[in-house]
Amino acid sequence: MSNEVEETMKQIQNHKGVVGLVVVNAEGIPIKTTLDNTTTVQYAGLISQLSEKVRSVVRDLDPTNDLTFLRIRSKKHEIMVAPDKEFMLIVIQNPTE
Amino acid sequence: MADRKAELEAKKAKLQAIREEKERRRKEKALKDAEEAAQRTMHPDKVQDLDEMLSSLGVAPVSDVLSSLSSISPKTTDQNSTPDASLQSNATSTASRPKAPQLSVVNVQTTSILPKEVVTYSKPTQTDPASHERDAAHAFGYYDEYNLNPGLEWEDEFTVLTYDEAEDEENSLGPHLDGFHSKLPPGILPHGLPQVKDVQPAVTSLETEEKKEKEKKPPRDLSEEEKMTIILSPDFQKFMDRAGRIVERALSESVDIYMDYAGLLDSEDRGEEKAKKMLSPVRTFVDERWTKNQLVTSMDWSPQFPELMVASYYRNVDSTHDPDGVCLVWNTKFKKQTPEYVFHCQSAVLSATFARFHPSLIFGGTYSGQVVLWDNRVQKRSPVQRTPLSAAAHTHPVYCLSVIGTQNAHNLISISTDGKVCSWSLDMLSQPQESLVLMNNKMSKPVTVLCHDFLYNDINNFVLGCEEGTTYSTCRHGTKAGHTEAYEGHQAPVTGIDTHKVQGNIDFSNLFITSSFDWTVKLWNLKENKPIHSFEDNGDYVMDVKWSPIHPALFASVDTDGRVDLWNINTDTEVPTASTCVEGNPALNRVSWKPSGTHVCVGDAQGKISVFEVNEKLAQPKHDEFSKLRHTLQELKHNKHDEDLDKFSSHNTSSGPSSLTSLISR
Repeated sequence: MSNEVEETMKQIQNHKGVVGLVVVNAEGIPIKTTLDNTTTVQYAGLISQLSEKVRSVVRDLDPTNDLTFLRIRSKKHEIMVAPDKEFMLIVIQNPTE
Repeated sequence: MADRKAELEAKKAKLQAIREEKERRRKEKALKDAEEAAQRTMHPDKVQDLDEMLSSLGVAPVSDVLSSLSSISPKTTDQNSTPDASLQSNATSTASRPKAPQLSVVNVQTTSILPKEVVTYSKPTQTDPASHERDAAHAFGYYDEYNLNPGLEWEDEFTVLTYDEAEDEENSLGPHLDGFHSKLPPGILPHGLPQVKDVQPAVTSLETEEKKEKEKKPPRDLSEEEKMTIILSPDFQKFMDRAGRIVERALSESVDIYMDYAGLLDSEDRGEEKAKKMLSPVRTFVDERWTKNQLVTSMDWSPQFPELMVASYYRNVDSTHDPDGVCLVWNTKFKKQTPEYVFHCQSAVLSATFARFHPSLIFGGTYSGQVVLWDNRVQKRSPVQRTPLSAAAHTHPVYCLSVIGTQNAHNLISISTDGKVCSWSLDMLSQPQESLVLMNNKMSKPVTVLCHDFLYNDINNFVLGCEEGTTYSTCRHGTKAGHTEAYEGHQAPVTGIDTHKVQGNIDFSNLFITSSFDWTVKLWNLKENKPIHSFEDNGDYVMDVKWSPIHPALFASVDTDGRVDLWNINTDTEVPTASTCVEGNPALNRVSWKPSGTHVCVGDAQGKISVFEVNEKLAQPKHDEFSKLRHTLQELKHNKHDEDLDKFSSHNTSSGPSSLTSLISR
């Protein structure tokens, strides 16, 4: 079954412009990554904090609401975050490529 | 101050008195000791008693002295400490006396600090609008304090607090880590709130980061095994499946929201060029792993989600570990390059269809004769159900599969190459509800069905294309069930058949078209056993043919030379209205219209599905298309009649090459 996970990761990684992807758990600990260690830790820590904050914002605005997807567009990259209850998928892409 | 001095003086005097008393007792004791010594020599027994008595006497005053001393000491320390506190020393000297009770009041206030209290702040009267940020920050604190101690003059508090706060900041630099929480009740008393307000952000961010670091470090060394267990957990699999899908869609969205339209004329030019083309390639569906070098055996569209297309593949290369039959669901809406779903089974899939009224179910007809059922709701690529391989069901390849009926009463119809037709209830695939064998009337042998199609809105009558080149029409029920009516015309296996389904003011549901290995496409009417017309422009096997779902006179055909033809028989019956070649000229096997009628998909022998956009002028029917088609059909019939008469006179046979028809009709 794990090969399906690998397959999904490969599919995403093979997309044009994708720099890398990281899967982290609820505590912000990276489980799977395609980036080097330091970058992974950086993204995992910072993005999980951010998404936690965003989620709380969304929930505070409307308690029946929840965060489902987060896209951060910057000059250099676009970071896509697909959060879930227990895990979170972070994809960094270069949209200009 | 005068008071204090007086007090000190009094105390000093008291101490002096105590000392004097002590001295006096010491002297007394010494005197007694001397007496004792004298007596001891005389009466040792009595001396002991006396000693005891004296010692007890001696101890008592000493303890008195001590207790009196200790009772004094707290007073003195109290007095000493008060000047120590910056609050007191800095405060006005006149206020020094009443400050002591004030402390205890503040104490109560700190214990009752609640984060909610902050909410009440926001009264504009609290701060001077001109005051700068720092003052404003303090004001929050006062407000609380002010609230709780209405007796205090807040201006006064203000000054006190600023001083304290400055000190606190200095202090907090050192032991801020533990100081913040643990020392909160006592440490916060005099300065409390302002510190909480102002210093908190810096402290907490530092703190939390450090905490995070601490938390992260031990688990970051999640062992490979631990990681593997997480990865293998069903929760994780589910998550990856869902998140991967979403991210892929998001990734393939090529819309540039930062598009600047100023000075970008190139793309518009390109757009115009494209508009001139009748058939323009839009995209391709191909998957390196699943579809490479596999024949596309069928395509079907989801009725619920018009952007979803299921395609089945026949693996013709020997690879031992991969399953033979693959069925992929492609999404034409999102521009992602990977299939939405992947299904497979042990036998090659020859036909696949959506279960019309069940959006998540897909049926597949296999080479082994099994009909398999996939469900995209389960995290499983293999079939969730399959029909048995028994004499009751199919034992020959199933090339034909369709779901017919209505929402409340529908069946799956499958036809295998031995002419067996099975009707299945979707709930029970263990045995067919009914089955019949299609027999050829003349030769009384079963027909080898390669393709079929039901008439429009009909669950009983259907047409078949067979290996020997004959086309049959038959019905499932009634007295003639299973009996076939032959339509002779093709000289080679019939590869594709399609009935006319576009509804309009004139009914053409009797029309159907067929494609064959004999390089021709033929147009038929159910009521005549000879073709109305034969389209002979291809130079290779014609593999499939399909009517447009919206245009009554338009159909598409594909051949093994890589050619895609669009015929509008209202404009021309001799040459295709539009024709294009798939890049690389692969042998095309299947063609399918998108339900909207705007796109045509062709599947080839290399596992690639190419999508072509049909020019609007060609795809959209004009209002008079139906009457024009009737006219065209009459003309064709007329030509045919003339040709038949000609042939009859010259050859005395009526089954001459139909190509003459076209020559004459010109």
